[in-house]
Amino acid sequence: MKKTVDISLPVGPMHPCFKEPCRIKCETRGEYVLAAEVELGYVKKGIERIMRGRPWQEVMFLAERVCGICSVIHNFVFIESVEHISGIVPTERAAYLRVIVNELDRMQSHLLANYSYCYTIEHETLAMYLLNLRETVMDQLELITGARVTCAFIVPGGVRCDISSDIADELRSALDHIDAELTRFIRIFETGPLIGLRSKGIGILTKDAAIESHAVGPTARASGIDNDQRSTHPTYTALGFSPVIRQEGDNFARIMVRFEEVFQSIRLIRSALEAMREGPIRGGGTIKAGSIRYRGEAPRGELLYELTTDDYGRILEIAIQTPSIPNIQVCAHAMLIDAQSAADITSIFISSDPCIACTER
Amino acid sequence: MLSIINYIREFLRPHWITTFFTAKTAPLVTPPHFRDFPELTDKECTHCLACMMICPAPEAITVVKREEIWRPEITKGHCIRCGLCIEACPEDVLTSGRILAYKKEEELTLQGTFHIEIDQSKCMGCGNCTVACPVNREIDPALRSSGTSTSDEVIMRVDTGQNKVLHEEKCTGCKTCEESCSNGAIRVARIVEALQGGEK
Ligand code: SF4
Ligand code: SF4
Ligand code: SF4
Repeated sequence: MKKTVDISLPVGPMHPCFKEPCRIKCETRGEYVLAAEVELGYVKKGIERIMRGRPWQEVMFLAERVCGICSVIHNFVFIESVEHISGIVPTERAAYLRVIVNELDRMQSHLLANYSYCYTIEHETLAMYLLNLRETVMDQLELITGARVTCAFIVPGGVRCDISSDIADELRSALDHIDAELTRFIRIFETGPLIGLRSKGIGILTKDAAIESHAVGPTARASGIDNDQRSTHPTYTALGFSPVIRQEGDNFARIMVRFEEVFQSIRLIRSALEAMREGPIRGGGTIKAGSIRYRGEAPRGELLYELTTDDYGRILEIAIQTPSIPNIQVCAHAMLIDAQSAADITSIFISSDPCIACTER
Repeated sequence: MLSIINYIREFLRPHWITTFFTAKTAPLVTPPHFRDFPELTDKECTHCLACMMICPAPEAITVVKREEIWRPEITKGHCIRCGLCIEACPEDVLTSGRILAYKKEEELTLQGTFHIEIDQSKCMGCGNCTVACPVNREIDPALRSSGTSTSDEVIMRVDTGQNKVLHEEKCTGCKTCEESCSNGAIRVARIVEALQGGEK
């Protein structure tokens, strides 16, 4: 008779499917996952400690370096929090430019996340298609800001540079290209029977479990939770933003939420380009003393900056809560439990788009 | 079934077929708008130290005098290619990517005021910072040889064993003093504002 042994199955820290090092420790009965724990600590940076005592013009660059994939949102939330402390309001054109660059960054982050997922379920063709499409977005980011990642685009009171009508035209045609390509790729993804087998009904996170475990971002929105910090941001509400929500809560839903959010970002950029009027892009203003808790919506979910500044614009205390911190725990304690096969461990984990660099700051 | 049709449609596109048979990697070129390490233009540097003041990376840029000409020098291993020095330089000495062009076009600038803090419990009165400060040395050349100053015009000087700040308003925020202090006793707060359209 076949003997069933309880196994402790380590996945990682070095694993071909992971972009960054972390270890998932699973307790399994055969292939069936009984419990899981995510172990971190391989890439701790201690960046909050380095930030302390430095002026905004230095912390801004450190904030971007918390995460290489979603660097713009860290710049965005950090600058908006010091702006709120000091009562600085960005000029109208600058506010729209911020949205454009932030949404481009979200697009490339979502495309990279979905690339990772397709790669994990061994659909390398689609994975490479998505990675190739991401390059179009990266090129647009480079065209506008001069750099692909760590763009350093947002400064208190405005942005670093304006976009000319030539750049706006190029951006529009790039968006049309992405729109057309991605529609085809999604058709392949949605109808693929093998993709469905690896994705539909796998790694289910129910709405109750998501609420209880404080899931954020696309992971929460794929389980039917209306949680998007952009809904309360003045520039986004002016552009008519409404969050993308799905109900299934499985791997498939999480990937589709990201795909739909790419289209949403395209729409937001298009309407921002329409709504933008000529005008100044910097309003000046110095940073005053104060403290704040300020939230923004990163590609992976809610990003929180809690900081204190002094009269000379220096950051005295800072704490950063990145979206992957709750999401990784949600993944370990709600999504991985009851996985039917050890092969699903990586795909479930990757479908929640974990960012280890963010989590360990 | 639908899936197979989708794949066939994907691989029967003329664009797919032509790229499949004529696949060629495009040559790697750096686009002209790429924000690379700052390079020098032919403009003259006035040794105002605005570039050193704004630079977020430690010791990435230093303004040095070689063959009687002041010139900013960039340490590539330290520079993070942020481009702030290009925006801060009032004389357009530095350039990289589109930054210099849009800075001129839209009259962008970064301006700062400074506040010097000396932690007297850490300062041992060695005077390293007073000698290192480029503004001090220009005001009182005697500092270079003697290491002490009797001038009342300098930014700071060591007086009866303690470093005293006399003229904070002359500071350019270059951070040289911070780097020369072995105890980390001197801190220069740089209150920087991002502006458009010249002086406010
Ligand atoms: S580009 Fe940035 S990091 Fe490099 S020297 Fe200039 S200010 Fe310093
Ligand atoms: S800011 Fe420009 S002019 Fe001033 S020291 Fe630097 S390079 Fe020279
Ligand atoms: S920052 Fe320090 S070294 Fe530079 S000018 Fe001011 S006091 Fe002098």
